[in-house]
Amino acid sequence: MLTIGLTHYLLVAAVLFCSGIFTMMTKRNAIGILIGVELVLNSAGVNLVAFDRYLGPGRVDGQIMALFVIVLAAAEAALAVGICINLYKNLATVDVDTAATLRG
Amino acid sequence: MNVEAYLVPLAPELILLIGACLALIVGVIKTPRQMQWVSPLALVVVLAALLATWRLGVPDGSQGPPGLWLTSLTFYTRCIALGVGLLIVLVNWHQPVAEERGEYMAMILFSLLGVLLTASANDLLVLFFAIELVSVPTYVLIALSREDSRASEAAVKYFFLGAMSAAILAYGLSFLYGAAGTTTLYAFDEGAAVSKLAFGAQMGSHALIGLLLVFVGLAFKVAAVPLHVYAADVYEGAASPVTGLLGFVPKFAGFVALVKIFGACNWELPNTVYWMLWVVAAATMTAGNVLALLQKNVKRILAYSSIAHTGYMLIGLLVGPVAGQGPMRDGVAALFFYVAVYGAMNLGAFALFAAFRTGGRPMETLDDLAGIAARAPLSALALAICVFSLMGLPPTAGFLGKLYIFSSAFSLDESHAFCGPLIVLAVIGVVNSAIGAAYYLRIVAAAYMRGEVDESIPTGGRPVRWGLALCSIPMIVLFAWPGGLANQARNATIVLHDSIRPVHARLTTTTDATEHQQQPAAFRPHQAPRRGAPGKPAAP
Repeated sequence: MLTIGLTHYLLVAAVLFCSGIFTMMTKRNAIGILIGVELVLNSAGVNLVAFDRYLGPGRVDGQIMALFVIVLAAAEAALAVGICINLYKNLATVDVDTAATLRG
Repeated sequence: MNVEAYLVPLAPELILLIGACLALIVGVIKTPRQMQWVSPLALVVVLAALLATWRLGVPDGSQGPPGLWLTSLTFYTRCIALGVGLLIVLVNWHQPVAEERGEYMAMILFSLLGVLLTASANDLLVLFFAIELVSVPTYVLIALSREDSRASEAAVKYFFLGAMSAAILAYGLSFLYGAAGTTTLYAFDEGAAVSKLAFGAQMGSHALIGLLLVFVGLAFKVAAVPLHVYAADVYEGAASPVTGLLGFVPKFAGFVALVKIFGACNWELPNTVYWMLWVVAAATMTAGNVLALLQKNVKRILAYSSIAHTGYMLIGLLVGPVAGQGPMRDGVAALFFYVAVYGAMNLGAFALFAAFRTGGRPMETLDDLAGIAARAPLSALALAICVFSLMGLPPTAGFLGKLYIFSSAFSLDESHAFCGPLIVLAVIGVVNSAIGAAYYLRIVAAAYMRGEVDESIPTGGRPVRWGLALCSIPMIVLFAWPGGLANQARNATIVLHDSIRPVHARLTTTTDATEHQQQPAAFRPHQAPRRGAPGKPAAP
């Protein structure tokens, strides 16, 4: 019988992290990139809670930090929407490849 | 515990917070008459915070709420961030032209507040949020800075790369938490501060992954390779006054955070981390300088120059703190000195672009700059001082900054395991400074040697010109009398030295209630020469 240990949770988080980075690298839509960012932030959250559970009993530090990471994710999502609307007003698209007037 | 004991030591931070909220409230009333009060309000807030810093003096490490540790590093950061913050407010005085000035000034104040909190953070959570408090307002600032598709494009690029680096930083910090078992950086035991991230050079894989990811996350803030790609586009897209802020505020906060985390590791970094930092430093300097040579837009040149300067500062970070030494030998003190000087000289260069318009648009290219010396000799002189300072020519403070950084590497102890590679790195830095001279001279030459292409009209108004003057004059003054700033930079590194870490009593952590004591603190004197502590060299 397989017992679920810390490593398994870390693996899940690592998969989330890699998916998030991959999403950010490949998506051209601003909202898609934001989803990638959220995946990576959630991988941090999974890690924190898993460490809390397996480092020893009675720990809350990681859980508190995970909560705050969720707060940050919410704040960034709000900001992202604002910035995307701003881009849409100027360029009528949220495709980040279209926004490429700044070149060296 | 009475409330004052928590609040009074945080007076500068609280003043900034209240001031930022006031600016937001004033910003709601969007009449032109109210708008003109916003910039003076921001100026008064920063001045009040500076005054509070001065009145409080150097914190002795015994006060302040849990999660924060107010030390000489806090004091130095408050002085520098608020000092340069004052100049930033002056340079941004008339920004933006549209009616969002209240929000705009509030964002500047929030960003400065983030820098101050970064320096005091004693908890990974606080550190992470302080760093994000620095970054998040800057995204808004870029978008607000002008009504232009280029500004919104710059904001999108900066925001998404910034959000990615923040997420990577969070992931890295989660590993550091897993390795350390606590989110605290320093715990206070038997009256002495104990590093909680002291894994030793043979750290486990969690700690190593954590450190590497934290560095990658912070590399964005300081604009180091490979997360430097945004710099040129963002600098070009944002309005010049914001660009001056972008070159300093996130960079300063990023370096303070790196110093804090490496300090909490007792500077015992594994060879992997050392070599990675070495490669990043060399690549950052070289990429910044070489790419700057290819640019025509002055803002892009200065963006790549900002990357190159990050490379020089990384040398100081690699050398690390050397106990009881001034910035000539102590890498971190040299880094702190350099980043302060860099903040002012970089802002000064951008202030000139904020002060003039050519052909109906803000000044940007070398052609726009042509002939400015004939039209506005004093402004051109200030620009020349700032650019010579960026280049590292005497008699400017930029020269001293580079001298400190390089001499700290050259004077490393022979027994230091990375003595050889660091000297090579310093040589690369010197060669890079010489390459850098080429493009800096093009800026000065355009201003002084060429005739006017398009008429440049001063638009900045008096505060911007004051800001420009106050950026350039200290460059000369600091060259003549660097002692004050150098001493403060040295004092700021005291907390990083294991053997002389200030005694501390009262700070509590949520993890371990037994780690704090109730005796009053006894802080060692800040005058480093009298301390005479042996101090352990920063061996990796």
